[in-house]
Amino acid sequence: MRSVEELLKTQGVEFLVNTTERESYEMFFVHKKLETVRATCTTERTVTIYREHDNKKGNYTFKVFASDTEESILQKIKLAKEQCLLIDNENFALPAAETFDREIPSSLTSLPPREMGEKIANACFAADCYENGSINALEVFLYRDHITVKNSNGLHKTEHKCRAMVEAIPTWNENGDSVELYEAYHFTEWDEAAIIAEIDGKMKEVRDRYHAKKPQTEITAPVLLRAAELNELFDAISDDLNYAAVYNRSNCYQKGQNLQSGDGDQITLTRKGEIKGSRFSALFDQDGVTLKDTPVIEKGVVTSYHGANRFAQYLKEEVTGLLPCIEVEAGTLTEEEIEGAPYFECVSLSGLQGDLYSDYIGGEIRLAYYFDGEKKIPVTGVSISGKLSEALASIRLSQKRKLSGSYFGPEKAMLKGLKIF
Amino acid sequence: MPFSSFLNEKRDYLKELVSCLKKHFSYVSVLGTDVKSKRIVVNRNTSSVGEDSLSECGFVVKMHDGKAFSEYSFDTLDCSPQALADRILESVSVSSALATIECPVPRDEKDKRDFIRESDFEDYSDKALLEYATGLKDELLALDEHVLNAFVLIAPYTVDKLFISENRELSQHFGWCNGYELLVYRDEKIVQVREGENSHLLKDVLAGLPRHKDKLLDKAKHLVKAKPITPGVYDIITDPSITGLIAHEAFGHGVEMDQFVKDRALAKKFMNDYVASPVCNMRDGAAATLSAASYFFDDDGVLAGDTQIIKEGVLVSGISDLVSASELGTPPTGNGRRESFKRKAYTRMTNTFFEAGKDKVEDMIASVKHGYMLFETNNGMEDPKNWQIQCTAEYGIEIVDGKLTENYVAPVVISGSVPELLKSITMVSDRVTIEGSGGCGKGYKEWVRVSDGGPVLKARGKLA
Repeated sequence: MRSVEELLKTQGVEFLVNTTERESYEMFFVHKKLETVRATCTTERTVTIYREHDNKKGNYTFKVFASDTEESILQKIKLAKEQCLLIDNENFALPAAETFDREIPSSLTSLPPREMGEKIANACFAADCYENGSINALEVFLYRDHITVKNSNGLHKTEHKCRAMVEAIPTWNENGDSVELYEAYHFTEWDEAAIIAEIDGKMKEVRDRYHAKKPQTEITAPVLLRAAELNELFDAISDDLNYAAVYNRSNCYQKGQNLQSGDGDQITLTRKGEIKGSRFSALFDQDGVTLKDTPVIEKGVVTSYHGANRFAQYLKEEVTGLLPCIEVEAGTLTEEEIEGAPYFECVSLSGLQGDLYSDYIGGEIRLAYYFDGEKKIPVTGVSISGKLSEALASIRLSQKRKLSGSYFGPEKAMLKGLKIF
Repeated sequence: MPFSSFLNEKRDYLKELVSCLKKHFSYVSVLGTDVKSKRIVVNRNTSSVGEDSLSECGFVVKMHDGKAFSEYSFDTLDCSPQALADRILESVSVSSALATIECPVPRDEKDKRDFIRESDFEDYSDKALLEYATGLKDELLALDEHVLNAFVLIAPYTVDKLFISENRELSQHFGWCNGYELLVYRDEKIVQVREGENSHLLKDVLAGLPRHKDKLLDKAKHLVKAKPITPGVYDIITDPSITGLIAHEAFGHGVEMDQFVKDRALAKKFMNDYVASPVCNMRDGAAATLSAASYFFDDDGVLAGDTQIIKEGVLVSGISDLVSASELGTPPTGNGRRESFKRKAYTRMTNTFFEAGKDKVEDMIASVKHGYMLFETNNGMEDPKNWQIQCTAEYGIEIVDGKLTENYVAPVVISGSVPELLKSITMVSDRVTIEGSGGCGKGYKEWVRVSDGGPVLKARGKLA
């Protein structure tokens, strides 16, 4: 049977083929006992055909499954060729020929998946060492991906990478009552100490959640957000600045706009392809474009948009590719400064709600630490809420930076003017 | 449209595979999936048509021998059933030193049936759908000079699944379609407003979308002037989508019985106790109504259920997948669902809703001295262990002296204790609306299509 690319070439069309071959090994534990073991071996292949007509360009996307035959693939290609004529988008060029094949080395491949999965699970359970604490449920996922992009210009790029994820539910039981927190920890290297430290940190937090109380009086203090929430916040802000949103007039912020009118630390944010240790890191995007790091906010002012090949050409902007990672420069906030006055540190939220359009930031607190100037008190059962623009104006960013998800930036940020109730 | 010819052709192969694996396991089943999806999107500047990301074609085998369950997901049948069985056995092997659960083998009662729910998707060509969407988009753009952009999306999909075990052979074919329209509107500030229609018939979706044009514009005009709400505790009236969000987040996740197995759900302790006001009745089930999660059998091959969860305020039942039901010794309720054939089956909600009461909406609004009526689901987050809730409404309208005002607030986050919220429900309207366009994750992953809804409720809640 001829390959998809060979069949596409027989039809004389412009094309893009995205292929992800994935093998996974997955373990699901309940009360430290294995409940389910899973393995997967799958291929996902998406084909997009482009066709110029009347100075416009049409495209049509379809999937090719392992079950497809040469005949069924040819049928799909021929249908797609016809359907392209229904679409009248502005013309643009596919990325030029470029080839490479890169393996991102990872110590996760140092053992067969079964053995590595067990080691990861054992590391998680090693942190389950508190008399009243336990990990009620644990899921371990090991993925090995081979990602390939090919197009009709001769572009052919492949990336091979590994990653792991654990989802753990640390639980604290005392006096017949029980509370839990949710932990999703992603990593790309085997580091037993880091896994134990991460889970141990969550065990201590769930202990504190058990002892946390709803405050009887209103708390007024600056709010501290941690890296996980800052990842969500800065992702929402910088995603708004992508070329597709700008072209479709759905962006909230504009180039040249100052996002910070107050006396806080000025935000400098760069969208990036790779951040060391982040599972989101990539060398190229779905079009095969080699990613170009792009500062989008400098000293609080929007300086650039970013985004994919097609919309960059429409806007006559530089093609940066779809940039998955975010780096934010350190601020001036020190630990000494934080500990020198009352604060309200959000440790676990149901989810940070950051709404650019409604100028809102808020969320329901599952665990926070209220420092009243003398002691740290675990708090639950409250919410935070306020205006996003005011929070950004006064934001203070920590000097110390941390990796969290797709984000490398200040470990903490202090926001003023949020109501805690 | 007939059932997937690809899956039909593979029946004998899959039976042979089950037979090979049965030499090693007491229980073996295989689920084959063939999902076809389409997505048509137009806006002021661009349009697209093509296959949507829901499309998939592959298989997952589930095996059990009284200890841990094993699963293997694959998409090629490029070798003999015996060779594939050997590969599967090697792939899911575990160390003998590993502690495993012990669990009764699921029952595998004889059943052979084919289920079909017809849709009308083949009556509409891509060209016709694009022309429709383009026409509607142009009408939306012409509504007002402040409309920056308008998006119209039409996304039909059909699901074919084949389940084979030693004693069961089930097939199902059904479809669903979601349609959306969205305005980007600027008048000093920018807002985005949306409306949707969904049905198993495209003709219903296409007929329904244009009816929302005036409502979209009116909403946009009000929302550009919307203010933040003053945080506090208020009397609230929930529109059916917010009612559904509360049902889903407050108690839907809390009664997923795989959480009972893990001691993750407080609901396990409160079975047969009052957890809500006596005016509350709540159900979940793929067979409970016709909506986005209405299938004929679940991804474990269990026939669709209709489960009463809360009856007159009392928690009477949870929902389960095959594994959790086996572990708990209860009958499975038909709630075993996978994000795709590549993912594990968990206990998942389907169509989750409060049942109708006797009150009239106008009487409910009239009964509020000062409060808010809340509209349109944005998102929510469950906390089944600790019974906290966070639900976000796109907007609220202030009620003063029993009347809706022109004062819009946005967004509005409802948070607090689940029992406090549910026990505060005092009025339930006499009509139920269920919206079938939602997606639901378990934690932060494993997304499946769900619907939820119910009547209009009057309650008291913490808003921010």
